Amino acid sequence: MIRISEIQESFRIAFEGLQANKLRSFLTTLGVVIGITFVILMGWFLNGLDAALESTVNLLGTDVMYIDKWSWSGGQNWRKTMQRKNITYQQAMEFCNSVKTAEVSLPEAHKWGTTVKERDRTITGISVIGVPYSYSQLPAGTILYGRFFSQFEDEYSTNVTVLGYGVAKALFPEGDAIGRTIKIGGRTFEIIGVIIKRGTMMMDFVDNQVIIPISTFFGVYGMTGRSISIAVKAGSAEKLDEARAEATGLMRSIRNVPPGQEEDFSINETQTFKEQVETLRLATWGIGIGLTLLSFIVGIIGIMNIMFVSVTERTKEIGIRKSLGAKSSSILTQFLVESASLCLVGALIAFTFCSVVIAIAVRLVPEADFLTPYVPPQLILIAAIVSIIVGILAGIVPAIRASALDPVEALRYES
Amino acid sequence: MSNPLIHIEHIARTYEMGGETVHALRDVSLDIFPNEYVALMGPSGSGKSTLMNILGCLDTPSSGVYTFKGLDVNEMTDDDLAEIRNKEIGFVFQTFNLLPRATALKNIELPLIYSGISSEDRKERAIKALEDVGLGDRMLHRPNELSGGQRQRVAVARALVTKPSIILADEPTGNLDTKTGIEIMKLFQELWSKGNTVILVTHEEDIARHARRIIRIRDGKVESDTINPNPVTSFEIP
Repeated sequence: MIRISEIQESFRIAFEGLQANKLRSFLTTLGVVIGITFVILMGWFLNGLDAALESTVNLLGTDVMYIDKWSWSGGQNWRKTMQRKNITYQQAMEFCNSVKTAEVSLPEAHKWGTTVKERDRTITGISVIGVPYSYSQLPAGTILYGRFFSQFEDEYSTNVTVLGYGVAKALFPEGDAIGRTIKIGGRTFEIIGVIIKRGTMMMDFVDNQVIIPISTFFGVYGMTGRSISIAVKAGSAEKLDEARAEATGLMRSIRNVPPGQEEDFSINETQTFKEQVETLRLATWGIGIGLTLLSFIVGIIGIMNIMFVSVTERTKEIGIRKSLGAKSSSILTQFLVESASLCLVGALIAFTFCSVVIAIAVRLVPEADFLTPYVPPQLILIAAIVSIIVGILAGIVPAIRASALDPVEALRYES
Repeated sequence: MSNPLIHIEHIARTYEMGGETVHALRDVSLDIFPNEYVALMGPSGSGKSTLMNILGCLDTPSSGVYTFKGLDVNEMTDDDLAEIRNKEIGFVFQTFNLLPRATALKNIELPLIYSGISSEDRKERAIKALEDVGLGDRMLHRPNELSGGQRQRVAVARALVTKPSIILADEPTGNLDTKTGIEIMKLFQELWSKGNTVILVTHEEDIARHARRIIRIRDGKVESDTINPNPVTSFEIP
């Protein structure tokens, strides 16, 4: 049984030791500082990544899939995909009119990498998307302010546009986009609404788009030579499987894919983003864990070494304590508390360091807005626990050696 | 006469040193009763330190019987021995053996920490012990801020704070000048007259003469065990 008074005493000694040997303690704990820094920064990054992924997936809709000529995840035979025939507008409309399990389904026409003009300002790298009015029922069509175009405007090929968040912010930072005009493909469009911010990190291209009625789109860019995407909203994540099965069958029949032959289209889901992010996640983990382990091994060796020194330096003290009635377990506790405290101080230094680094990083890199500007609280707890475990691992052998000292021998020791 | 505090019978202690067996104690038997004032005398290498370590439960005999207050010490675990040292024995060492970084008060509290006394009680008892040795005004001084005599007083206070059955002093005046040595001897005299049991380990006749009983050790054996007919009772400082 170790008494509370002994544990208090152990902390007092540990604190005293740290104070007496500030520089030595700091240098010793450096390995742990680096290790904990890795843990915190890695955790912070992954945390941000997860949050960003979640918001992206939510905004695209977990129950939404896109039927496309291309697969989002890549990975397939590039040449084979190139040879696929375009999905025509007629095929897309046939699909949309026949599909039964979908809550919403609509064609989307894309024009990548165009420029839009607002008076004398031009921005490049913008996607123009032509969609029917029902696009507003998709999560991707959620309006921040203004409105979406109406069925009437859609059918009569009106020159109205709804801006993506990125475009609106670039051209109208004051938020006064509504009623203004921009030039898309040489024609003048009236801005009637702005879409909410959807993209985070590498996904922010989704905000750099302008949406126009699909009929207008064909008027500007023509209908031939382009592949149409079909957006399908199943209604709920549970209905997705059913919708996917129907969509596959329907699309095969529309595109006359013979039984047994591979599909000549892809069904893309938000799941694909998860897979991509998962790769980044794994890479971060791999590098992070490797570096962390390495620095902890270095840290443990350093602390173990200094604890051996500490035991030798205090042989006499151990003898005195034993002569006054300290049990072996008391001495063991004393040294374990000391090495754990040493590591905890390391964690504290690392935490302070990381807070500064994170604050600066978030300020310097605006694209990193998916990351929290502070150390997530659960990471502080994890770092503290990890550092204590490291401290105990590093301290156990020296502590056992200290506790096993013979009191007579220890008292006789002169440093 | 009451039961002996310490009863040892034919104890021996041998060490293995470089493949050779060293007989530090060969065959020692003795009893020590409550409120005795005993001097263990002998030249260096006589085995008196080994005997003191065994009496103080820092070490255990290789053979023979040692009972402390009727309990068989040979049967005890290391933790039991630690408990005996903590509660029953108060050590006073030649080199004081105070913790250099702790204040006088903290040093005195140390044995109480290992007996699990609450911090308020500890402090109260440590202050009392320090006042008893006349150092009530030196509580927050560290050992290097105290004179040799004061350090030894702190050590005596530390030995007394657990109210032990025996005070075991190993050459307590060895590192002190004559004047302070006499002061410390006076302190032991007082402790004894208040009813404490004092065992003094020394090689100096002058110091041993303060005790009421003198046990001489030579070559690991008791050479003589006599009552001191003329104990020193005056503490005139020369």
